[in-house]
Amino acid sequence: MAIAAPGQLNLNEVPSWGSRGVDCFEKLEQIGEGTYGQVYMAKEIKTGEIVALKKIRMDNEREGFPITAIREIKILKKLHHDNVIKLKEIVTSPGPEKDEQGRPDGNKYKGGIYMVFEYMDHDLTGLADRPGMRFSVPQIKCYMRQLLTGLHYCHVNQVLHRDIKGSNLLIDNEGNLKLADFGLARSFSNDHNANLTNRVITLWYRPPELLLGATKYGPAVDMWSVGCIFAELLHGKPIFPGKDEPEQLNKIFELCGAPDEVNWPGVTKIPWYNNFKPTRPMKRRLREVFRHFDRHALELLERMLTLDPSQRISAKDALDAEYFWTDPLPCDPKSLPKYESSHEFQTKKKRQQQRQHEENAKRQKVQHPQQHRIPPNQQSGQAHTQIRPGPNQPIHGTQPVVAGGPSHHYVKPRGPSGGANRYQAGGNPGGGYSHPNRGGQGGGGGYSSGPYPAQGRGAPFGSSGLPGAGPRGGGSGYGVGGPNYPQNGPYGGSGSGSGRGSNMMGGNRNQQYGWQQ
Amino acid sequence: MLSAGEFTNHLSRPEPSIPRVLTILSFVLEKLVARNNGLIDDLTQPLDGLSCGSAGIGKSLNPFHGVRAPSISIPKYLERLYKYTDCSPSCFVVGYVYIDRLVHKHPDSLVLSLNVHRLLVTSIMVASKMLDDVHYNNAFYAKVGGVSNAELNRLEVEFLFLLDFRVTVSSRVFESYCFLLEKEMILNGGACQTIERSLVPITDMADVPELSENTQTSPSLTQIMD
Repeated sequence: MAIAAPGQLNLNEVPSWGSRGVDCFEKLEQIGEGTYGQVYMAKEIKTGEIVALKKIRMDNEREGFPITAIREIKILKKLHHDNVIKLKEIVTSPGPEKDEQGRPDGNKYKGGIYMVFEYMDHDLTGLADRPGMRFSVPQIKCYMRQLLTGLHYCHVNQVLHRDIKGSNLLIDNEGNLKLADFGLARSFSNDHNANLTNRVITLWYRPPELLLGATKYGPAVDMWSVGCIFAELLHGKPIFPGKDEPEQLNKIFELCGAPDEVNWPGVTKIPWYNNFKPTRPMKRRLREVFRHFDRHALELLERMLTLDPSQRISAKDALDAEYFWTDPLPCDPKSLPKYESSHEFQTKKKRQQQRQHEENAKRQKVQHPQQHRIPPNQQSGQAHTQIRPGPNQPIHGTQPVVAGGPSHHYVKPRGPSGGANRYQAGGNPGGGYSHPNRGGQGGGGGYSSGPYPAQGRGAPFGSSGLPGAGPRGGGSGYGVGGPNYPQNGPYGGSGSGSGRGSNMMGGNRNQQYGWQQ
Repeated sequence: MLSAGEFTNHLSRPEPSIPRVLTILSFVLEKLVARNNGLIDDLTQPLDGLSCGSAGIGKSLNPFHGVRAPSISIPKYLERLYKYTDCSPSCFVVGYVYIDRLVHKHPDSLVLSLNVHRLLVTSIMVASKMLDDVHYNNAFYAKVGGVSNAELNRLEVEFLFLLDFRVTVSSRVFESYCFLLEKEMILNGGACQTIERSLVPITDMADVPELSENTQTSPSLTQIMD
């Protein structure tokens, strides 16, 4: 194999980042809180283009540049796909410090470093939380397909996302869905011999193998999260809202059955299996609980929420599932309705204000129960506000949230605000399932050819155009440069480290679902 | 690729206390620095001193330039970094890859006796951050390297931007750099030695608590670089 001469690989680089200052942008408002800093909506002054600025926290002097930020930048620099957020550039701002003579000390990095992303109007959680929001079946299919397409691209390029959840799936007003927040992502090797940390993925979306302490894992971890999101879209609320790891596992076992050597060979050898093995027999009830889902949706969900990661469906195979090729077909992203901006951060803020308003208004009265959609915060040091009703209320989770009315100018309630379920919860609105319409599926090799490509080679995969359009397949290959050597650094160093998953909040325990005993 | 045979070979030999990679890297860097220093001298004959000369070359590495060259030699400095930070020997290869990428990306910049120490502490620290399960924080590296915490943070960011955040080193590239370093050594009459290629296993256990610098005693290196 030809080996590039040292340095030879460096020559085709884009111009250096960091040459521009953040003053090229005008901050408009805060729209989120990332793994390591705030996110702002901003306007590029020269072009008027709206972007998202993500500030990299540099306040921990002893740790220096956060390793999570290095990883995110490094990974996003090589991922280029319509369903992966685009990192446009990095800008810096001058620090306030002056030297002895009172001149600015030129230490621009004291001031701040910002990652500049394309702006996206919504995230999936924020969008789903809009009062009265109800996704149609073609819409859910459209989002799911984009999510899987983006994730398949990551996995082919040997990147694990490791934090798939609604608030990290950004959606623009063209209906495009993009994976974002690669602060926990890392590259992996296909042999699964590496020891990776199991303290990743927001608790509600974390797969059983990680909860059982596995340190050798692969792309299947992301697919579990996708299954959770899929079920959430169909069901109308999170399906595994555990408050801590044991409860999380218990919720999983209650729905998916308890793992044993039959349904998951090797499970008894996973480090913490003995600590968590269920005390009573539990059988898989997924089909029974979600019997109202349509047949193909349920079939796909079954294969995503498979306990044994080696049997869990891959992103590539999921894209081939009947679900995406039967009526009603996924819609064209462009045909989706446009909504005013909504981010989980904003909806949370809004609900917080609303809750305060309610509390002030009727302190002594029984409150309306509210939706719980916020998973337990996974990062220490940036506690998200948990919204929950007062203690000891009977909660069934589906009451409308509209008691006080939204107080933000940018949120207009749409549709009936009293609906119990914001999503298309079931039924078979389209009909026609017995005549699968698989236009164009046969062409071109598309997703279904072969296993992941060897290192450094692109997979055949349509990289141009939107995934929603047209037949599968497509000729152009993508492929990032060379093979990716899996980097292994702890990211415990950057201040957000230890807390993932451990910072549990109470309160969600009140949620009850019909299928939980 | 990293062959198992090669790996066991290394194990069967008596392991010197200082990894061979340090010796080889010192040799290669000292040669590079001597050559570049000479180049600068030639360029700036009429002027006096290196600091004036360095003004004539590319500005990319300016943040790494000291007022005068530190008195500690490159081999001693590398040894010191290795001894106190306990980073894996691979970090020295990867650190060298970074420096090499940097000078190729900014061809006007030269590694000189004025900047080589700061380049080394920064590159090895970043390499350790990327590679090692357990690594010391910037504050500790600063103490070992003889620079202030604030300066090292600044150098780290400069370094990352100069590299355009290209901090991934594939096993293939790693291997080719090992090969290159070994060849350099032989070509220049050095003893035939091979570098420890212990890039496996690959881990990133984030649960491992960061070591506190207080658990190890490091004689504070007086600010060797002012």
